Amino acid sequence: MILEDLLIFGSVMIVAWFLFIYNWPRMLLYVYKRAILVKGFGEDPIPINTLYLEPQKLFAEPITSQSASSSNLATVGANHDTLLSGGWLDLRKGPQVLHVPDMKGRYYSVQFTNPSNNTVFAYVGKRATGTEAGDYLITGPNWKGQVPSAMKQISSPKNSVLVLGRVLVENNSDLSTAHHLAEQIRLTPLNQKGSI
Amino acid sequence: MNSKTFSILTALIAVVCGYFIINSFFLNPTSRNVRNDVLQGFLIGFGLAFVTAQIYARIKITKINGWTTMFGCGEPDNGFLFRAACAQVFLGPINVPKEAMYWKRDVDGAGHLLSGKHDYVMHFPAGQLPPNNAFWSLTMGDSRNHFVPNSLNRYNVSDRSGLVPNADGSVDIYIQNAAPTGHESNWLPASTGKFILWLRVYMPGQTILNGEYKVPPVVKVS
Repeated sequence: MILEDLLIFGSVMIVAWFLFIYNWPRMLLYVYKRAILVKGFGEDPIPINTLYLEPQKLFAEPITSQSASSSNLATVGANHDTLLSGGWLDLRKGPQVLHVPDMKGRYYSVQFTNPSNNTVFAYVGKRATGTEAGDYLITGPNWKGQVPSAMKQISSPKNSVLVLGRVLVENNSDLSTAHHLAEQIRLTPLNQKGSI
Repeated sequence: MNSKTFSILTALIAVVCGYFIINSFFLNPTSRNVRNDVLQGFLIGFGLAFVTAQIYARIKITKINGWTTMFGCGEPDNGFLFRAACAQVFLGPINVPKEAMYWKRDVDGAGHLLSGKHDYVMHFPAGQLPPNNAFWSLTMGDSRNHFVPNSLNRYNVSDRSGLVPNADGSVDIYIQNAAPTGHESNWLPASTGKFILWLRVYMPGQTILNGEYKVPPVVKVS
């Protein structure tokens, strides 16, 4: 009897062991998903397919302007170099268009993370694409269609995407300039944009 | 939790899981049922997954002068075990190395936890500030990784914070709770209790990516 129990116990243990290791990054980023879509970083949760941008006040006074009800992910372990923006994409209903303004040489990056394994499948930013203005079409794995000629395609392996934006702040007096640029990093659905 | 607590926790879970398996199936096999087999298998599997990921992370960690980092995280073709190991070290959506490298530390050169009860200096020899094509910064976090309140509202020192070099071109950063007289420009305000340090380098230079660049140690001076 004990051998049978050992076999059942052992098989469950090995399967659980594998599933937990395999899904560890997904469980970690689930915290971010909840922070974005359920808790939010200020008054309200962040709707799906929108980019939240850290307010100037939160960057300037990260200790006193943290709201108690919201997620503390914006200030725990955060950097004090860049304005942070973030959002959660659901590409099942169609692609999203990321617009970035001319950053005039300033460091910025928009990181596209696959939330099922915490790896980065694409960047838009100074290193990856340069600092000129541009439009990027973010498509899900099952999307078939024509990429508008003025856009570059970013193919996501999953329909869920964690997007993180960073715009460098040179110093306190540069904060409003940096924030103004970061505000112009925008997401819109393709059909709205394509009809222009 | 600091790195020492994690080591102890990992060892503890490993021992408990190992003891449980040996005891309940080999030393004192008592009457069992399928429900217990499944439930306990699930829990022990979870415990051993944590232990495996922690141990694998420790194997893959790169230590330089008390700073820890991991090269190669965030890349789409990483294997599942390595991805889990990265998630132990960096608790968030990580960058790939060529976009940004992060180093973390919570101990001084002698292996004692960093604390605001002491003063520390980080000395960059001339020309040895972190090579980059974007920016670098050294950021203070308290024991819970929050920013530390201070009179200057300064949460990091960086390539943009007006660090004043010494006569020989080297740069000293004073990491302490009280402002260092005459060196305020190079002061990174520390909490009164335990703290951690993050070194970030965005668009790191080639010598960082190939491992040639050595991050300087943080030395306790009092």
